[in-house]
Amino acid sequence: MIATDIAAILPEVILAVLAMGALLGAVYTGGDRTTPLLIWSAALVMVALGVWIGFGMSGTRTAFGGAFINDGFARFAKVAVLWSAAVVLLMSLDYLSRCDLLRFEFPLLVALAVVGMMMMVSAGDLMALYMGLELQSLALYVAASLRRDSVKSTEAGLKYFVLGALGSGLLLYGCSLAYGFAGTTQFSGIIATAQDGHVGIGLLFGLVFIITGLAFKVSAVPFHMWTPDVYEGAPTPVTAFFATAPKMAAMALFARVMHDAFGAAVADWSGIIALLSVGSMFLGAVAAIGQRDIKRLMAYSSIAHMGFALMGLAAGTGFGVQAMLIYMAIYLAMSLGVFAFILSLERDGRPVTDIGNLHQYSRQQPLRALCMLVLLFSLAGVPPMVGFFGKFYVLRAAVEADMIWLAVAGVIASVIGAFYYLRIVYFMYFGEEREPLDPPASTVQWAVLVASAAVMVFGVVNLLGIEGPAAMAAEALVR
Amino acid sequence: MSLFLIVLLPFAGALLPGLLIRAGRNVCAATTGAVTATALLGLIVNAPAVMRGQSLTARLDWLPALGLNANFHLDGLGLLFAGLILGIGLLIILYARFYLSREDPMGRFYTFLLLFQGAMVGIVLSDNILLLLVFWELTSLSSFLLIGYWSHLPESRQGARMALTVTGTGGLAMIAGMLILGNLADSYDLSVILTRKETIQASSLYPLALVLILAGCFTKSAQFPFHFWLPHAMAAPTPVSAYLHSATMVKAGLFLMARLWPVLSGTPEWFYIVATTGLVTMVLGALIALFKDDLKALLAFSTVSHLGLITMLLGFGTKGAAVAAVFHIINHASFKAALFMTAGIIDHETHTRDAQRLGGLRRLMPVTFAIATITALSMAGLPFLNGFLSKEMMLEEAAHTAWLGNPWLVPALATAGALLSVAYSLRYLVHVFLGPERDDYPTRPHDPGFGMWAAPALLVVPVIVIGIYPAVAEALVNTTATAVIGQDPHVHLKIWHGLTPALFLSVVAVAGGALLLSVQRPLARLWDSTPRPEAKTMFDAAIAGLAGLGNRVTDGLHNGAITRYAAIFMVTVVAVGWHAYGGGALGAETRALSQISPVAWIGWAVLVIATLGLIRYHRNRLRALVLMGVIGLIVSISFNYLSAPDLALTQLSVEVVTIILLLLALNFLPEITPPETPPLRRMRDMTIAAAAGLGAGGLIYLLMTRDFVFGTISDFHLTRSYKGGGGDNVVNVILVDFRGYDTFGEITVLGIAAIVIYAVTEALLDSPVRRRLLHRQPGHALAGDAHPMMMVIGTRVLMPIALMVAAYIFLRGHNQPGGGFIAGLVASIALVMQYMASGFAWASERQRYPYHGIIAAGVLLATATGVGSWLADRPFLTSNFGYFRIPPLKEFELATAMGFDAGVFLVVVGAVMLALESISRMARRQDNEVSPYPMDIDPARETTPAKET
Repeated sequence: MIATDIAAILPEVILAVLAMGALLGAVYTGGDRTTPLLIWSAALVMVALGVWIGFGMSGTRTAFGGAFINDGFARFAKVAVLWSAAVVLLMSLDYLSRCDLLRFEFPLLVALAVVGMMMMVSAGDLMALYMGLELQSLALYVAASLRRDSVKSTEAGLKYFVLGALGSGLLLYGCSLAYGFAGTTQFSGIIATAQDGHVGIGLLFGLVFIITGLAFKVSAVPFHMWTPDVYEGAPTPVTAFFATAPKMAAMALFARVMHDAFGAAVADWSGIIALLSVGSMFLGAVAAIGQRDIKRLMAYSSIAHMGFALMGLAAGTGFGVQAMLIYMAIYLAMSLGVFAFILSLERDGRPVTDIGNLHQYSRQQPLRALCMLVLLFSLAGVPPMVGFFGKFYVLRAAVEADMIWLAVAGVIASVIGAFYYLRIVYFMYFGEEREPLDPPASTVQWAVLVASAAVMVFGVVNLLGIEGPAAMAAEALVR
Repeated sequence: MSLFLIVLLPFAGALLPGLLIRAGRNVCAATTGAVTATALLGLIVNAPAVMRGQSLTARLDWLPALGLNANFHLDGLGLLFAGLILGIGLLIILYARFYLSREDPMGRFYTFLLLFQGAMVGIVLSDNILLLLVFWELTSLSSFLLIGYWSHLPESRQGARMALTVTGTGGLAMIAGMLILGNLADSYDLSVILTRKETIQASSLYPLALVLILAGCFTKSAQFPFHFWLPHAMAAPTPVSAYLHSATMVKAGLFLMARLWPVLSGTPEWFYIVATTGLVTMVLGALIALFKDDLKALLAFSTVSHLGLITMLLGFGTKGAAVAAVFHIINHASFKAALFMTAGIIDHETHTRDAQRLGGLRRLMPVTFAIATITALSMAGLPFLNGFLSKEMMLEEAAHTAWLGNPWLVPALATAGALLSVAYSLRYLVHVFLGPERDDYPTRPHDPGFGMWAAPALLVVPVIVIGIYPAVAEALVNTTATAVIGQDPHVHLKIWHGLTPALFLSVVAVAGGALLLSVQRPLARLWDSTPRPEAKTMFDAAIAGLAGLGNRVTDGLHNGAITRYAAIFMVTVVAVGWHAYGGGALGAETRALSQISPVAWIGWAVLVIATLGLIRYHRNRLRALVLMGVIGLIVSISFNYLSAPDLALTQLSVEVVTIILLLLALNFLPEITPPETPPLRRMRDMTIAAAAGLGAGGLIYLLMTRDFVFGTISDFHLTRSYKGGGGDNVVNVILVDFRGYDTFGEITVLGIAAIVIYAVTEALLDSPVRRRLLHRQPGHALAGDAHPMMMVIGTRVLMPIALMVAAYIFLRGHNQPGGGFIAGLVASIALVMQYMASGFAWASERQRYPYHGIIAAGVLLATATGVGSWLADRPFLTSNFGYFRIPPLKEFELATAMGFDAGVFLVVVGAVMLALESISRMARRQDNEVSPYPMDIDPARETTPAKET
């Protein structure tokens, strides 16, 4: 019994054990001197685990009495999480060493957060959900204030922690209400209590508070407030991490809870999520306009993107989940590229983040500017970049679920949002003459940027075959 | 040739110019031309079939889940547009070869041009509206690159940005429209959509879809009120303007309106939106064109005007008007492209495009003059040129179109538009070519080489041929019109229609136009001096306003204050709670309220008063702390009142420890209270807090007055506690036995937490934060003796008693309220009191065992207890118990759980003490002398030692 349980959760166990072992190893051997080694090995392990999970596993297996579910949906999300985390680690190395931030804790925190995320997306039970979520969150709180000597970084970490604790508390409150009225913490048990497409009012209270808690984790409006501060305050590699893997995991968890536990009462939650979605899309679009700091801008951009992903979830259908997964996968690919670019921005050896520095960038670095142009158009959802297909998927899901107003609102928001993406393009190509930035040095960042842009262009052929796995994943979740 | 190939050729070919530019400019241009020519040839091969009335399709599934398929379709409309795009494209390539100077990066230019060309061909051949959207935005993108080609010119930058913003925004709006349209038609294939007119127009979403799609069309085709971007895009090199802004890109909007004409037209909405927009654009564009001195701006606004004309014709929704629209598209493309090229030639040769600085060029540039004359007169709509024919048809249609029942409005305005058109067309000739030669041209003008005027000259051919012998265009017009209106109109194009109203209006227009031109100069002065809304400034203001709004939203919401974040958070939570409350019916109350004794009322009153007091005095930290202690005490007592003595004991001990901890922390806080927030803000916060508190309380009340869906788990534990764990105190049995594993985890965490606190303070010991803390001057004098005798003696006396109590609580824990956790807290309090009384240094000198060790010993002891059960072949932490009698004691029980509880005890003591010790280390100063005495003033001692703080 326990052996089969362990077999289902083996990748998580391996990663957790390796992370803890590496922690001890680093403390007793070289401390921060081991960081490059740790980063490389953590990335390789994550990539390998991703390959194993993605290609070496099939079917649906549950473990620990249903608390842990290893199905197609979980695997899709896990592969995305693992690979994006690995990429972030690799492209951070150069930045960290230049900024004297090579702390061995960073790769380990990332690895532990990834373990938490893998637990989250596989959760089949409110307890497992909370365990995974907190493991992830705690690692992230610490990572946000990695640069301890910077006031901004520590402030960001503290704010994130305080608000995160509030969010977690609310989630727990919701969970306990759900437990009180469903009599079980298992998703499969909770879903059985719904009647005629609705849950009882007690469970409804639980549901709305769980949604608020989860909305905090995906930084949907109005629970997004921490995002801009944390994105700006945290060191850029940490921001890059925040923008990628945790978003995927939280979104997948959201879908998991909504469909696995409350899938029989779609009408009870789809409206709330639709509101979260509209709020996020609009706030993200409008508030980003005035931003000068590209990290802050990306924070609002990510809020808007989460709004779009939530649109797929709000549809409450299998196609909606598929759309959401595709959207998230595309979003990850875009974000990695953009952050690879941001990580490479430097003037006089110091990282810069003000978009004013991008004036006439196309003259200094034509290829990078072109890649960034592709990425920004893709973020804006302009055809024919792949980003458009992601948007179109979720819009389609909303329309098919008879939420035309949501789809139209989404398009209007993307129109507003296009403005600030295009402004960066404008700066890069038509800006005024400024002092040039330092020529970027890191090959990894260059490779990620170019690869990401190439995906955005050539992915239009078949979306790199992501449709099939996403459809299978959605099928595994929404039955 | 396959339609796929026709579309793909320009894209694939786009790689070539960039690669071949090293081989020379001629090779580069020739390759580009060859690519375009091949595509054109492929189109021509298919033309006969289309002219026979067939339509060709090529289908390929792309992303079927999205409804996106690479379906192409060639019918009359597609043939016409594709022919225009590729044909004029070929001429532009030729023209650009000679127009671009040696310094311009020609490879890049041709690459962008081919990309653009491919996207345009894709638009007109798409049979899937999603595919169309993809190509549509691709034109925005590639045109952005083309317009920005001369990016070192500031106007060019501005123009590119505005063009992209306007057309890109419109395109995105169109996505929504297309999505709705496809949803209404249940297919994204145009061939299907075009058959669903009734379904679509009957839907309530039709107006929305219409507006969104038209937003895309109007922005792309520079229709009022989006007409302003086009002239600013003219800063691009002339081949680009000629190609994009006369023949192709701006016609994409018209193309789409024509393409969707069968499904969307025929309704009042369509008529009033499209026809009105077209009419206004036509007149307004022509009026502005008349007063523009920049030749390209003049031509740009004339383009706006002519596009308005075509839009208006499409908007009429009649078949005749649609035919006229199609015909004018052909004519306009030919004369306007040629005119742009002449403007480019003039610019190229004289280095100015300012009409004020030109004039008298007819002798100096005779070839250019000839080309310009023919094409400009065609634009003016003079007979025997193609522009005349379609203008007549337009006036004919306008003459019998009523607008809101008014039969005069449309004809009058259409005539005014035609009149202005004559005026600016003639102006182009008169002010540039006629008049005396000047001697202040920037450079001496002369005709360009053959290569440069060949392309416009070629375009003159259709202008004249169609103008004189219109029947040549009949087949094309009929085929194209068939594709638009769904049936063959069988029009016969001819010059003379008899004395129709249209002819009369035409005469008025020509005569009036000529007259108007004669007074253009004084009018222009008037025009310049009258203030009028400038679209560009409005656009900039709108952008600035939007940015300002964005900033205000951002600054309002994200001011960095966590209080605001928390406020928004709480408001939302209350709102969703309220939403849930309205989400279903609550059943009737199933539980009766229990009787409340007077004691409970008193406790409640004290609690409320203390809470209110806390809110009132929260700026005074010490007082707030005292009140918090009161609240905690009441809460502990109420636990006891509600028959939870274990909880009460725990709470009580925790309260004491936390208050002491807070007292220590107060030491580090500044004494200055932060400024009081304004009353309004306080009111708001109070409302939010009250709503949240009452909401939570109300929810609890609602839930507790109703039965849960399943029974409580108390019975389970009550029946099993003694049998399974050997204890009567269920709480303790749960802690150390039933859920011993949890407790085991918890004590480990507790220990780790204490060690973390230790580590953090260690790191802070030589941080600037601590230095700042220590340098802070206390606001008032410290107490005379830090370690008063009374307290020292009191605590010494209390210590053994407290420890005894702890032991007692520990031992009785298994059967009565108590246990290791509470005992640990009580013991900690006994120890902490010594630290408080005699100072840190004195007490720690007497501390024999390091607290780290105590924590470790506790965890190890607990582990050993757990492992012990393995010896008895039981799972980890299984409890065992038995009864023993050691005379003279009574029989007593020993459970293995007790060993575990002892571990808990040790960990709690160690953790609390380590945490307190760590924090107090922070306040210790370097210059402190450790006092060897337990108290400052000791009657038994002679001298008073140095004070310790």
